[in-house]
Amino acid sequence: MTVRDAEAATGNPASRLLKAYPMELILLALILFLVATAPGFASLGNVLNVLRTVAMLGIIAFGMTAVIISGEIDLSVGAGVALAGCIVAWFAETLTGSLGGTAAVSIGFLVAVGVGFLLGVFTGKCRQLYRVPTFITTLALFTTLRGAANLITGGFPLSNLPSGFGFFGGGYLLGIPFPVYIFAATFLGMHFLMKFTSFGRAVYAVGGNLEAARLSGIDVWRVKNLTLGLTGVLTAISGTLIASQIGSGIGTTATGMELDVIAAVIIGGTSLMGGTGRIWGTLVGVIFLGCIANGMTLLNVSEYWQYVVRGAIILSAVLLNQLLEKVR
Amino acid sequence: MTTVAARLTDVSKDRLEFRAVSKRFGPTLALDRFSHVFEPGRVHALMGKNGSGKSTLIKILAGAIAPTSGEILIGGEDCRFQRPQDAFDAGVVTVHQELSLIPGLTIGENIFLGRLPHVRRFGLPMVDWIALNDRARDLLHEMGLDLDPRREASSLSVGQQQVVEIVKAMSTDPRILLLDEPTSALATREVKQLFGLIERLKARGVSMLYITHRLSELLEIADTCTVLRDGAHVGTVEMAETDHAGIVAMMFGAAAHATRPSRRDIRRDTPVLQVAGLRRAGHFHDISFDLHPGEVLGFAGLLGSGRTEILRAIFGADAADAGSVRLHDREVRGASPRQMCQAGLGYTPENRKEEGLVQILPTADNLCMASHDRIAPHSIVTRAAEDPYVHRQIRDLSIKCGDPENPVQSLSGGNQQKVVIGKWMNTEPSVLFFDEPSRGVDVQAKRQIFDIIWQKAAGGLAAVFISTELEEVLEVCDRILVIHDGAIVAEVDPTKTTLTELYRLCMEGPTQ
Ligand SMILES: Nc1ncnc2c1ncn2[C@@H]1O[C@H](COP(=O)(O)OP(=O)(O)OP(=O)(O)O)[C@@H](O)[C@H]1O
Ligand SMILES: [Mg+2]
Repeated sequence: MTVRDAEAATGNPASRLLKAYPMELILLALILFLVATAPGFASLGNVLNVLRTVAMLGIIAFGMTAVIISGEIDLSVGAGVALAGCIVAWFAETLTGSLGGTAAVSIGFLVAVGVGFLLGVFTGKCRQLYRVPTFITTLALFTTLRGAANLITGGFPLSNLPSGFGFFGGGYLLGIPFPVYIFAATFLGMHFLMKFTSFGRAVYAVGGNLEAARLSGIDVWRVKNLTLGLTGVLTAISGTLIASQIGSGIGTTATGMELDVIAAVIIGGTSLMGGTGRIWGTLVGVIFLGCIANGMTLLNVSEYWQYVVRGAIILSAVLLNQLLEKVR
Repeated sequence: MTTVAARLTDVSKDRLEFRAVSKRFGPTLALDRFSHVFEPGRVHALMGKNGSGKSTLIKILAGAIAPTSGEILIGGEDCRFQRPQDAFDAGVVTVHQELSLIPGLTIGENIFLGRLPHVRRFGLPMVDWIALNDRARDLLHEMGLDLDPRREASSLSVGQQQVVEIVKAMSTDPRILLLDEPTSALATREVKQLFGLIERLKARGVSMLYITHRLSELLEIADTCTVLRDGAHVGTVEMAETDHAGIVAMMFGAAAHATRPSRRDIRRDTPVLQVAGLRRAGHFHDISFDLHPGEVLGFAGLLGSGRTEILRAIFGADAADAGSVRLHDREVRGASPRQMCQAGLGYTPENRKEEGLVQILPTADNLCMASHDRIAPHSIVTRAAEDPYVHRQIRDLSIKCGDPENPVQSLSGGNQQKVVIGKWMNTEPSVLFFDEPSRGVDVQAKRQIFDIIWQKAAGGLAAVFISTELEEVLEVCDRILVIHDGAIVAEVDPTKTTLTELYRLCMEGPTQ
């Protein structure tokens, strides 16, 4: 909600729609374009495929939205995904013999989630106690975690996973990829958290004005630390799903994923300055990114061009969004 | 004779004319076809209640916002400043209502921002720090403030920041000077100095628009008074031909004035807050006092005397070095603002922009921010649960905010101040610290705020009240502590003292 929304209340219905939902409309235009030009884009198989990729990204992006709204950033999520996958795979390989597959994977998953949470809180504590910006701490973690993941695997994929583990990342439930359920649940949960709980309201307050929030009796550091911890947990969940999907724990998975996650959040209208943003916007952002990646593959754009085009499209989408919002 | 004539033609260049200027913010018409000619070389006061469009008028002239329609002429020439820089280049200089110093820069840099003096050293142009700081020091001295210009702006109190802003504007040699509530954070001494500067500028032929809510200043400094109501021009009078009552009538129509309820006897047997020997090195020392239910205790003192710092330390916003704070008979020194808030203590800070409000969040969110424990006992918050809290404050404090979902930064300054008060009223505290609660609110709203303080006090609230306007302290409080140089130097009974006496105590401390 901004001054703009108040102004958007005037004007004719078409321009009102454009002002109120610029990014939604840009996404719609992109989808229509791809349906018309990309062969097979609208087929059920492809849609489910897109949703599966989007899910892995989105689960983390919802957490990242909260982190960015609170005025912080987490650059370590890509490495976190790799670490979580390797932890799960390591426990699965090591313990399946003695405890059975289910127990081994469960323990690995819980350890990964615990590590993710603690890393997030650690980042927050560095900020709280020693004033190290989360940008720096997570930049350090970005390389540290990647290294740790490779140390666990010894540089080789850990692929000796129990049968059935593949279901979480690659399986279907009622015809829909399993990760999509987790994605939907995360969306609903985060939407509820940010909009209807005092914790969520506090996240906005803390990101909008730390001092005013503190003087309003909000425990500002608890809010920031928990938000970062939550993102660590979501990163671990996504990492586990990805390991399951590719069938192994690999130290180099999800390279560069943090940039996609942050791009999705920003495309969704969340401000890097903190204090504003919506979970719904991030949903639009991740779907937007998923469609671009998928569309370019279908259109046979060469890999190097894909990078160039993707960057250009992300930038133009954000620019267009700003322009549309400005037009009064 | 020739020189006077020359100057007259000279200043008539600065004749400032508004022609049907309007400004619309969405559904709000902030300025409604305002037309008026401000004669050059005079001080023109702008009056009107909170949200009547005064700041909007000034911002348009200063190029900070664009008018929806209408035109502005200076010396007969059409001028529509696209950017603040254009206005500045044309000699139109503004001190805005909301403080806007850059916190990370020094006082000197802030004053000369964009026009830092340079010297050539080794053939290269370099910032001449020595000249800059010397000039800044002189300018500050003129305003009676002996601050080191190398200090960071972030370390200044609100009043000091205001002085620096004024100094900055004055130092640019303006043709037209716009002052939006320059005195709202200043105490008597600084106000006197400011008026001295204004007189000097006036003698040089500078025209000034001057916004204030303090009626007493008008007679002293203004030549004319222009009143706005709901964005429309109600009228303009020569100050020589009117008085307070006349202006108030123009502002509000026939206004009913709340008067102070008769003083009650306060039972001083069970204090709710006991402070003993509180000290924070470099700020205050030996602070001891008791506060009783139903009592409004005033802190009187000059800018920088330590009033605010004492309250902040008790509230837990800053750490104190020694001493004890007992709230409801429990030792609470070292508690966080959160714990204090839960224990029933509230604090409305003096600086609404930095400390009081989250500017980008809706008015509704700001009003509920400190009372989530109360609104959402199970942590689930809905607008339905918040609505009664939001609407009660909007009604009790007559906050003019349009839709409470709009960000609080779209409110006028005085209405933002009311939101800060409302936020804490919603927590229903047993002790509430009011730090400059009346800063920037209009005469009528001020009465409303005082009225609420008295009502709540009658219901058992214990309050500490700070204001730079000693008249207010005398009127509102049941007992006054005079703070001088970080120590309590006197306790006075407001019924048994005079304004002059209180002012003298604040200035000099006690007579030995
Ligand atoms: N950016 C904005 N967006 C929406 N509404 C605005 C904005 N700025 C001002 N307004 C509205 O315009 C009206 C006039 O505001 P303005 O700030 O000019 O009042 P003011 O006379 O200076 O009041 P005060 O004495 O409280 O400072 C108010 O109703 C205010 O809410
Ligand atoms: Mg104003």
